[in-house]
Amino acid sequence: MAAQEYQAPESVSRLQQRAYFVGGIALLVSMFGAVRAPELFFPSYLMSFLLILGLTVGSLGLLMLQHLTSGHWGIIIRRPLESATRALPLMVITFLPIAIFGMKYLYMGQGEHKGWLNAPASGEGALSDFQKTYLTTSGFYTRAVIYFVIWLGLMFIFNVSSKQQDANPQDRALRFRLKMLAGPGIILYVFVMTFASIDWAMSLSPHWASTIYGFLFVAGQLISSMSLMIAVVVLLARTEPFASVLQKRHLHDLGKLLLAFVMLWAYFDFSQLLIIWSGNQPEEISFYRTRLYSGWGVVAVIVLVFHFFVPFFLLLSQDVKRNAKVLPRIAIWLIFMRLVDLFWMTRPEFTSRAMPTWLDVVLPLALGGLWLGFFAFNLKQCPLLPLGDPELAEAIEHHEH
Amino acid sequence: MQRSDLYGVMGEFGTPEELLQAVKKIRQAGYRRLDAYAPFPIEGLSDALGLKRNLVPAITLLGGLAGGIGGFGLQYWAAAITYPLNIGGRPLNSWPAFIPVTFELTILGASFAAVFGMLALNRLPHPHHPVFNVARFTHASSDRFFVCIEANDPNFHVEKCARLLQEVHAHHITEVSNE
Repeated sequence: MAAQEYQAPESVSRLQQRAYFVGGIALLVSMFGAVRAPELFFPSYLMSFLLILGLTVGSLGLLMLQHLTSGHWGIIIRRPLESATRALPLMVITFLPIAIFGMKYLYMGQGEHKGWLNAPASGEGALSDFQKTYLTTSGFYTRAVIYFVIWLGLMFIFNVSSKQQDANPQDRALRFRLKMLAGPGIILYVFVMTFASIDWAMSLSPHWASTIYGFLFVAGQLISSMSLMIAVVVLLARTEPFASVLQKRHLHDLGKLLLAFVMLWAYFDFSQLLIIWSGNQPEEISFYRTRLYSGWGVVAVIVLVFHFFVPFFLLLSQDVKRNAKVLPRIAIWLIFMRLVDLFWMTRPEFTSRAMPTWLDVVLPLALGGLWLGFFAFNLKQCPLLPLGDPELAEAIEHHEH
Repeated sequence: MQRSDLYGVMGEFGTPEELLQAVKKIRQAGYRRLDAYAPFPIEGLSDALGLKRNLVPAITLLGGLAGGIGGFGLQYWAAAITYPLNIGGRPLNSWPAFIPVTFELTILGASFAAVFGMLALNRLPHPHHPVFNVARFTHASSDRFFVCIEANDPNFHVEKCARLLQEVHAHHITEVSNE
């Protein structure tokens, strides 16, 4: 099989153009909001940023996971995963507005609830001694640089090695080295994501803490990334060369993993609720006091039903997991629900009104569109399958029915 | 004419590939009542045998639902109806605290339903089976692969089946008696 036979089809170029077009227009429209109402713009921007961050570093996590565990499912989605990780430069660029303009709108608190940027030095609402040294502007910047350097490093290692593999087919030693790097890489990814989620999202309410918070992000990112992969392989399979590669058993595996990630996310989310609910401590319960009552309570029920129960029961069925029409719809739905969940996680720190603003429509379209366009561009740079992987032949072999 | 004590005709194979090919050819020849025996699961064999989807998933789902509803119901019944206790001012129906047990019992119910449902559908335990009458059949649990065309197949005919098994290169062809 020659490399040129596995080039991305025309549909990827169309996806790229449309995504850039929608993203570009939405970005221009959102600029209006950035100038007129930055206090509404930045909460929306943070939520959208966290969504596309999930698609990017979630894919980094999945990429390392499939190197570590092997499996035919991983070979089918490896190139799309690598393309998603190569969107990291875009994440650096989209982080800059938060770092340069957004912090004072995000981390200054609301009304008498002060954020960590303007917390009083002593008395009620003061930060703890540790927080005073940790939650500082320079600390925020330094740590952000460290996170991005680690992510970029992992992205670089796995993308370059994969290219080497194309040049040296059947190289078992390289395959083994990738496996050896993937284990520590996953640990690093979870650690970095825990710290990043604390810095960027949990510090919105500096007096509240949860040790499972980073895992909530990790599990959510795995859902969004796996969902994207399912949608992408089904799109690719509409035309050759992927049409003759993708089989029902691959979709079945991807669907099973999606179900597992949905359950993992629900498990983490419920663990946090159970522990805080049982403890019933004033400083901990504040998180749920704002999120489980009145308007935000409605959003909580929507998240529970449409982010967990509905996808869970649908994905239990083998027929659904093997259905190339239904499975990608559930996947795209789950990416949308990730956005709703991020809305529910972050927005109550800014307003008690549980309603999205127009910026909550425009900004996800803007950042999501640009991200998707860049992803499609990346996808065109390499053959759609890791042609040098020793396990490729077995992964795409057709079993007779 | 057939003997009434005949269970079927069995062919033996050395590799899973041979077995798979043989099963396909036998199915093509029009036989439907046949079964294959192998020491380990062979990918594609269920499809080749034309086995239909079974009821195990549905039974498992029902078992899981019964376990979950029963688990939650038991806790609710105990804590809120028959023995209401005020614990730390919490509501009697403290549903978050009930979820772990509900979850565990869902899994327990589903696993029991899967295992016992599978056994029941397979009519197991089943201490004796006519294929055990073939001496070489002990190899089915170590290193040989068998296919048996059963006598209750409407097209069954001993000589024809034996010839078919020969054509698909079975190593040993044996008549399996019921006694």
